Amino acid sequence: MCEGDEMNKIKLIYEGKAKKVYETDDSTLAIFEYKDSLTAFNAQKKDTMQGKGRLTNLISATFLKLLQDKGIPTHFVKLLDDNHQLVKRLKIIPLEVVVRNTSTGSLCKRLGVEEGLDLVPPLVEFYLKNDELGDPLVTEDHIRAFGFASKPQVEKMKELSLKVNEILHKFLSKKGIKLVDFKLEFGMDDEGNIFVADEISPDTCRFWDMTSKERLDKDRFRKDLGNVLEAYEEIWRRIADWEKSCSAEYRANILVYLKEGVLDTQGKAVLSSLYSLGYDEVKNVRVGKYIKITLTSPSQEDAASRIKEMCEDLLVNDLIEEYSFELEEI
Amino acid sequence: MKVSVVIFPGSNCDRDVKWAFELCCNADAEMIWHAEKSLPSDTDIVVLPGGFSYGDYLRCGAMAAKSPIMKSVAEFAQRGGLVIGICNGFHILTEAKLLPGALLPNASTKFICRSCQIKIERNDTPFTQLYEKNEIVNFPIAHHDGLFYLDDDSLTKLEESGCVVFRYADNPNGSLKAIAGITNKEGNVLGLMPHPERVVHPLLGGEGGVRFFKGLSKWVKEMR
Repeated sequence: MCEGDEMNKIKLIYEGKAKKVYETDDSTLAIFEYKDSLTAFNAQKKDTMQGKGRLTNLISATFLKLLQDKGIPTHFVKLLDDNHQLVKRLKIIPLEVVVRNTSTGSLCKRLGVEEGLDLVPPLVEFYLKNDELGDPLVTEDHIRAFGFASKPQVEKMKELSLKVNEILHKFLSKKGIKLVDFKLEFGMDDEGNIFVADEISPDTCRFWDMTSKERLDKDRFRKDLGNVLEAYEEIWRRIADWEKSCSAEYRANILVYLKEGVLDTQGKAVLSSLYSLGYDEVKNVRVGKYIKITLTSPSQEDAASRIKEMCEDLLVNDLIEEYSFELEEI
Repeated sequence: MKVSVVIFPGSNCDRDVKWAFELCCNADAEMIWHAEKSLPSDTDIVVLPGGFSYGDYLRCGAMAAKSPIMKSVAEFAQRGGLVIGICNGFHILTEAKLLPGALLPNASTKFICRSCQIKIERNDTPFTQLYEKNEIVNFPIAHHDGLFYLDDDSLTKLEESGCVVFRYADNPNGSLKAIAGITNKEGNVLGLMPHPERVVHPLLGGEGGVRFFKGLSKWVKEMR
């Protein structure tokens, strides 16, 4: 842990294949420590690669932050250092949700379908988290019948998974990466709110380079393709500057007008001019200001709150004026 | 007496007010560029002069009120230092919330530049102690946006707390209650639309403003 961090690891709660989870001073939070180990085929194949924990930690933090920015609730709180991140402590739903955009892996093996088929709309599959059984595929009826999750929970997980797919797919395309498929886990807080939990990294996703079709994920390890760490590093290299690159441009159209009751001399002058031109039907004229601002911002909410600040700080004198604005992504 | 005159881009009465302080009370008046972060430590009085800071863009005084120097001016005022905003300087003080109210375009919609009869409402302030109460003086005005505005409740409170120091005898611009100049509650920050610095010598057409500057000098001496 880096010095000065207010969060302390108190007790190891769980150790998995790729990470350790610790209790913290705050009972609602936990610390994830990403390990340098790699496993595949339900841990039948194992290896250790120095620096791998750092990469999965950073990549996962970046994806989770990106999702949060786009309004997806996730368990991510903050990055602590290269190997640790602070997350919400949740009750994990015992299901893995897999979203597939392209056929490959177990899907092809199980159904004998060709690899590389585009799946439109994407497939959503549920797997029961159970190492002894090898995480078997389950149907929504199985989930309901055996109480793995409730119907609204299943619907929420499905909805969130598809949204996550849309966001990551769009984001990664810009980075020249094809999002083939990925796995998500979900957890609930004490109020029953559902969050995306666990990790999103080359350990849990399939990434193909869009031009070379090269595998940039754990398949390199599964299939002994070599350069595993290099592939993880390549993913990190392409997404590390996301905060800059994923911020969008917005245009705010701001209207500033005098409050009711504040004398508007311009309006009065315009009114008398209109009368002298014969527009007798005019009852009242108020003249305001129209200010158009373009800005870059990581999200629409962020842009809106910045525009509000600008209005209150400079653009509007709240003693005499009121304002409203519309925001559009450009 | 040390006077710091702040110059904003577009100020144009800065040299007049410096000259008036020098002429009337032999003051040491220094020009301070708005981008400075602090006032000279021996400052007795800060003046925000008239003019068209930032071309009156957005609202008169709005951008000048956000200048780097204004933080230091606010702190100076907070400590009880004398701050005077004349014309556009008055705009800046209201925009900086160092004074209540706002100044709207004149009711006539015209720029008015002429001598004006101003009634001294109070002579127990650092700014007016050499005038008689209710005395009428001639100060010129030169502005397009001088209509003093405040919502009804605040206006009543302003009057009740005796913050109105100058009032127009003929209300040329439609100001509420014909208000021409006010102080803050503490009485150390003054904003006024008329220009006392333009009537400090017979060649300028009058000497009605001389006592404004001499009074300040006397006040500062007595406070020391």
